[in-house]
Amino acid sequence: MSGAFTKSMARNIFYGGTVFFFLLFLALSFDTHSQLPKRDMRQNITPQVIEGKKLWEVNNCIGCHTLMGEGAYFAPELGNVIVRYGDEGVKAFIKSRPKDGIPGRRSMPQFNFTDEQLNAIVAFLKHVNSINDANWPPNDQG
Amino acid sequence: MSESSPITNQAAASTKRLPGDLAIWFFIMAEMVAFAVFFSAYAFTRAGHVEMFNLYQQTLDRNLGALNTVLLITGSWFIVLAVQAAHRDDQKAISRNILLGFLCGGGFLAVKIIEYSAKFGAGISMSTNTFYMFYISLTFFHFMHVILGMVILAVLWFQSRKGVYGSHDANGLESGAAYWHMVDLLWIVLFPLVYVMR
Amino acid sequence: MQFKSQAVAKPYFIAAIGLFVGQILFGLILGLQYVLGDFLFPAIPFNVARMVHTNLLIVWLLFGFMGGAYFMIPEESETELFSPKLALAMFWIFLVAGALTIVGYLTVPYATLAAMTGNNLIETMGREFLEQPLPTKLGIVVVALAFLFNLTMTMLKGKKTAIAMVLMIGLWGLAVFFLFSFYNPVNVVLDKFFWWWTVHLWVEGVWELILGSFLAFVLIKTTGVDREVIEKWLYVIVTLTLISGIIGTGHHYFWIGTPEYWQWWGSIFSALEPIPFFGMTVFAFNMVNRRRREHPNKAAVLWALGTGVMSFLGAGVWGFLHTLAPVNYYTHGTQITAAHGHMAFYGAYAMVNLMMISYAMPILRGRAANSNKSQVLEMWSFWLMTIAMVFITLFLTAAGILQVWLQRVSDTPLPFMVAQEKIQLFYWMREWAGVAFLIGLIVYITSFFVGGEEEKAK
Repeated sequence: MSGAFTKSMARNIFYGGTVFFFLLFLALSFDTHSQLPKRDMRQNITPQVIEGKKLWEVNNCIGCHTLMGEGAYFAPELGNVIVRYGDEGVKAFIKSRPKDGIPGRRSMPQFNFTDEQLNAIVAFLKHVNSINDANWPPNDQG
Repeated sequence: MSESSPITNQAAASTKRLPGDLAIWFFIMAEMVAFAVFFSAYAFTRAGHVEMFNLYQQTLDRNLGALNTVLLITGSWFIVLAVQAAHRDDQKAISRNILLGFLCGGGFLAVKIIEYSAKFGAGISMSTNTFYMFYISLTFFHFMHVILGMVILAVLWFQSRKGVYGSHDANGLESGAAYWHMVDLLWIVLFPLVYVMR
Repeated sequence: MQFKSQAVAKPYFIAAIGLFVGQILFGLILGLQYVLGDFLFPAIPFNVARMVHTNLLIVWLLFGFMGGAYFMIPEESETELFSPKLALAMFWIFLVAGALTIVGYLTVPYATLAAMTGNNLIETMGREFLEQPLPTKLGIVVVALAFLFNLTMTMLKGKKTAIAMVLMIGLWGLAVFFLFSFYNPVNVVLDKFFWWWTVHLWVEGVWELILGSFLAFVLIKTTGVDREVIEKWLYVIVTLTLISGIIGTGHHYFWIGTPEYWQWWGSIFSALEPIPFFGMTVFAFNMVNRRRREHPNKAAVLWALGTGVMSFLGAGVWGFLHTLAPVNYYTHGTQITAAHGHMAFYGAYAMVNLMMISYAMPILRGRAANSNKSQVLEMWSFWLMTIAMVFITLFLTAAGILQVWLQRVSDTPLPFMVAQEKIQLFYWMREWAGVAFLIGLIVYITSFFVGGEEEKAK
């Protein structure tokens, strides 16, 4: 019996430990859900913001940019782009992308958005900027 | 080894053997590391906000905490008795002591729920401030461990009723007992750290 | 080969390697776009190339997992596969769906693809790694369910070993957590919260069970160490994986609008995540040292040891580097993340698949092991690819440290693009390391086609 190390004990601990930590994770997630309304500004999610999020997704913006730090790391963070450029600056930037890119530089495609779509995108980015994300990013450069 | 006295020899021999299964000791080590890191995080953060921590520490109910300490230590004692009973094949005493240990755990949970309902009733949550973040995280993480420990004790109790444990095989019982002692030990660190130390 | 039906694994392995090549080619395109910004623009913009690169990675790993499972489960259960025909049918469905998806990415603007494939019914597209159109996502679910059904039925009629159980839990978990890819709430915080239930609980949760199980299987076969010993260590390692990894999800909840206690929970538990990876490394070396036989397939053993070490470095060490919240505050969303991602995926999942292929492919081709000549080439490819990946990671780490400094820490933070231009040198070096990786991959593929006298089982 000295120095017992049995497979059945190792197995039981695997199952028990997994269930235990998954339940703990669920409990924390549950608490998160009760706290989120204070942080995610959901009361400001208008149809325009929803439209902006959809445009963000179907044009795969996350394939180059980051949003609250998540995404690709090829192009600037956009969670706070409103702070850097302002509403009109963002719209002007997106509108003015040359169709064939800028020679030698990382280029953003020309998406041919309507003014309404541009407003929706800005509304979405403004909403993201308003979310309480523990003061990230460290500065306005993103 | 010198032949000084039979008692020290016996003690030396018994320390050679790790009670319970090696697998449970890996689990216990992992859990203790997680708690140790959590405790250190508490200590370092407290060092930076001593006044705030002291202020909110006074809102905790030390009497309930002390009662819970007694309950867990008593629970551990019953489990020690159960393991000893197994080694002398006293089947009735094994089951009885596991059950008593289980009841101590239940008492702990009841007291903790009283304590929590007062805190949560006052609108306190993990997001209230850093002190309460640690207080709730640590005690709730430990609370879940007491529940897990009680589940293990319940399994041990059912098994002991079938006469599984005895001097021939106490591996399962010793493993569960080791885990239960860990739950106790963690509380003995947690209680002074969060409730008492100023 | 002990069971005829194990042969269904072969097309899966071949497809996996083919897609792997595609992934690396697109990786090189991306690397060039980092330094020559307008390379292939506007034909293949960066976001498209990246989507192809990451999606090919996921799909080839899935092909590898499926092939490995089809090879392993009959042997573990000691019975023929429930339905080899179903397995082959699923292979073609998955391959065609995958190929069509990639063609779709490359030929149609993404927004048009979304409109064409019914994204308006359930909006699931346009989120990192989960860019697949709705029909592809549904296809993945169908293929995964048929695959799991097939294997579960096989296991039910045969032996249920610990290794097979751990694998099946990993695979079922993979399927279950993929379902969160269909949940895309309009609230971006919730969207991100549950996005990680697929992404994190895959790569730092259930996939590690698949990894551990494959590793244990190949170690049993190649070292001849007692199954009982290997299986109990497997249980200990996967236990440590899940107790650290599940709450470790919290390290993604620092800066996305979730409550701030995650900074503590996430930091503490993800700081423990290197432990199971270290355990995996020690486990692999220990078992090989205690081997009771000299297996003729030395290449497979090399991959087994390699995946232990590289997953520890890539996932364990490089993950730990930036997982603590105060550090992550500065490194979040920089090249540091990219560095970690590259070595972790290669070390843990690419290498474990290559290990399985290395062990199983010779057997599927009717021999215990490849010729010495072939194995020497394969080992060359191992070192070329692995060292190239180490350098890719080091260069990206250097780029990341500079980026963090220039853009976030210094007294006069520079705009993103200005900082990027200042670290071009490291992106060039990364690209050359990528070329070395491709050479390694070519050597790897060549090793399948050299003859020579095959090794006999000793």
